[in-house]
Amino acid sequence: MKKMISRRDFLKLAGAGALTVAGVIALPQFLRKTLMAEQVVMADPIPPNLYLAGTDGWMHLPESPDIPPYFPDNLAPGLADGYPDGLNSYIFGFRNITGLTDAQKANQKQRAQHNAPLFWVDQFNGSNEFRLQLTNLGLAMRPDLTDAHTLHWHGFRNVIPFFDGEPTGSVSVPVGRDFTYIFRPRDPGTYMYHCHVEDVEHVHMGMTGLVFVRPLLGPKFAYNDPATEFDREFAMFLSEFWAEAHWADSHIQLPDWTDYRPDFSMLNGRVYPDTLAPNGSVDPFNPVRDGNGDLIAPAGRPELQYQPLSALVTCNAGERVLLRFANLGFREASMTLAGINMHLVGRDATPMKGRDGTDTSYDTDTILIGAGESFDVIFTAPTHSGGVGPDTYVLYNRAYNRTNNLSVDSGGQRTEIRVYPSGVAAQQFPNDWGI
Amino acid sequence: MLTSKFKWMRLGLVALFVLLAIGPFAKNTQSVSALSNPSVGIVCTNGPTFNLTAGSGYIVLSDANTMFMWSYSATGGAFQYPGPVLCVNQGDTVTVILQNNLPEATSIMFPGQENVLANGVPAQPEFSGGGDLISLTKTAAAGGSVTYSFVANKPGTFIYESGTDTKKQIAMGLASVLVVRPSAGANFANNRPDSRFTPEEEFLALLSDIDPYLHQAVEDGAPFNMNNYHPRYWLLNGRGFPDTIADNFAPWLPNQPFGALARIHPYDATLHPYPGIERFVNIGTEDYPFHPHGQNGLVIGRDGNAVEGPGGEDLSFEKFAINIGPGQTWDVLFKWYDAENYSEANPIPVIIPDIANQAMGMFYSGSPYLGVMGPMPPGVSTLNQCGEYYIISHNHALFQLDAWGQVMAGPITYVRIDPPLPNNCP
Repeated sequence: MKKMISRRDFLKLAGAGALTVAGVIALPQFLRKTLMAEQVVMADPIPPNLYLAGTDGWMHLPESPDIPPYFPDNLAPGLADGYPDGLNSYIFGFRNITGLTDAQKANQKQRAQHNAPLFWVDQFNGSNEFRLQLTNLGLAMRPDLTDAHTLHWHGFRNVIPFFDGEPTGSVSVPVGRDFTYIFRPRDPGTYMYHCHVEDVEHVHMGMTGLVFVRPLLGPKFAYNDPATEFDREFAMFLSEFWAEAHWADSHIQLPDWTDYRPDFSMLNGRVYPDTLAPNGSVDPFNPVRDGNGDLIAPAGRPELQYQPLSALVTCNAGERVLLRFANLGFREASMTLAGINMHLVGRDATPMKGRDGTDTSYDTDTILIGAGESFDVIFTAPTHSGGVGPDTYVLYNRAYNRTNNLSVDSGGQRTEIRVYPSGVAAQQFPNDWGI
Repeated sequence: MLTSKFKWMRLGLVALFVLLAIGPFAKNTQSVSALSNPSVGIVCTNGPTFNLTAGSGYIVLSDANTMFMWSYSATGGAFQYPGPVLCVNQGDTVTVILQNNLPEATSIMFPGQENVLANGVPAQPEFSGGGDLISLTKTAAAGGSVTYSFVANKPGTFIYESGTDTKKQIAMGLASVLVVRPSAGANFANNRPDSRFTPEEEFLALLSDIDPYLHQAVEDGAPFNMNNYHPRYWLLNGRGFPDTIADNFAPWLPNQPFGALARIHPYDATLHPYPGIERFVNIGTEDYPFHPHGQNGLVIGRDGNAVEGPGGEDLSFEKFAINIGPGQTWDVLFKWYDAENYSEANPIPVIIPDIANQAMGMFYSGSPYLGVMGPMPPGVSTLNQCGEYYIISHNHALFQLDAWGQVMAGPITYVRIDPPLPNNCP
């Protein structure tokens, strides 16, 4: 299928660029000032709160049944290449490289994680702006692709294009370069972030993750409303995987995106039952890496080295648990929690209130999340049954015909809520198990 | 002897002074005529009597393919897709005279309107001799006509669309928009005071999709199994990006008169206190999650009803993904302002990379600041005119930003934010 003009070509179109610059030199001072920007340079660079790198990589999905010729990917690396066994899917993604040496940073090329690192930012109080530095390590499997990357914070209100990460209206980060985004978030809630260069491809390949803003009221509230207090919080990030598209990127082919179909649907970058596997390094402000700067696999699951975020929910009976749902797949999901009532307190990083303060929050068993939406629900963990071990409830996508991961019936976007009678420790970070 | 540098300078100066000269006049002309024949923003055909013809024609898509369509056009006028936006006032008796130039029977439904009459008697579904439903409302036979009328009692955004063989006729393009302006005034969405918007900032976002094999079959008079419906194109106001950001009545799109660029000024509590309004309408086959960057949409109306409780409580809600279903209309208020007031006097607190270390977009001004233009890298041109901002707004089912394999197409538009007045913008 012939591709007519891609965003890459769009951005490279040549033209008579010198006109404006040459013309203004002869103008009077007052007109010059509006047409020639003055470069403003800080004396000392302030270190970023978070340093992310965009690159490519590999991840694991259950292999049976296969999807020939696309899945598993025959170009996937293994132990002999310095990777764990079990990787079978090509991805693009971000990695947290805060604090790494230059050598360690370079080692992370072709070691993206899926999905992008979870992070959070405190609501702006006048002096705590958040600096996020982004670099572009390039795509090891595709030296022919010189794609730039950006970081678009999806849902950020009143942003200027320079910090919005939409490449046609502003700037993007070429291979080997750096760019620092400044965020002063004024609206608490759950958001997403993703690369916006060639967005259908980069987002689908995995350059997307969840970000949330903590309210001024405190870290145990979803919004600046005491009614949104919680004891534990869990990110629930929805995404999808079309095997042909991922294979096409590693094999220098182009899919026809109008043929899109999700072969796998994922929760926090994994399919059930991997959603129940332990966390790797999840806290972006205390990252855990090996001597080469690489991620360390969750205990007992070497093939999940690049999928560090667990979707298992653990809690004590009676606790209030916040679930932050965000959907960066391309299809709607119908997330259902069987047996526990969910109370919707926020949607698209907006508290459930009318402009006159009317409470519009509501109870539900199922939330319908379209692509690009976010939902904040709080549930109260029910009384324990008195049996041995935790009570288990299932959280799953009821759109069954779209979420079967082909290897486990009713799989894909499915996880469990395990309610213990007591003894689950306080979380050190979101999605922390505490057991 | 003039060197080429001097020649460019002279041309640059001439162009600049031309822009400055026409700038203020263009602005005055635009605001006066904004509601009748604007180059940007919703295009109203005013009633309350309308003469529409259902007929066929061709449109152009993002990949330069052409597509056979059925649509409503003003009787005696050129074929257009989508059909005219019918604008009436609350309480008007609306009359729609439909002439049918299609090879089969057709009709018009008015979802949300009550007591619709067809040829003077209550419009009724039609049944075959055997009792099968063949139309949801009174038809006009091929070559014939029918006159519908109703009283537009409720303010809001509505759809008018075919009621006959609907799965095919609506997919072929027989659907468009009816706007009923409230008694409170044309710059309100409904009769709530908090639905007020800036009149020059009223925009339409009509969402639809196309399966080219269906349209080919209809053009050839061949059968088509709707179970095989698989869209390959998705449209915004009947066009695909980049045509979506061209002006209304762009001459190279003679049958697609409606652009989707949203041109606004920044919100300011005293100088520009009212938001813009986007009327989202879905005449397609599935939900579309429409995502504006940079500002959320406040949903204040749905399907011609204000989003309020029985006692007038405000139940409006903000969305950064407006997930609109087929057959729905959502009225959405939006505004943007620079929350940080960045400018050269209040610079962004970060080192701006050297030009050589940035990739710049075609709408970028060269500077982070509103109203300021900066140098572009050698060999890169910009379409930016006066330091305005372009903030994208698009369907977030990203595989639908595609025209049968061509990426960066379809339901994408931009919000163009001009610097506060006075400015140098044309």
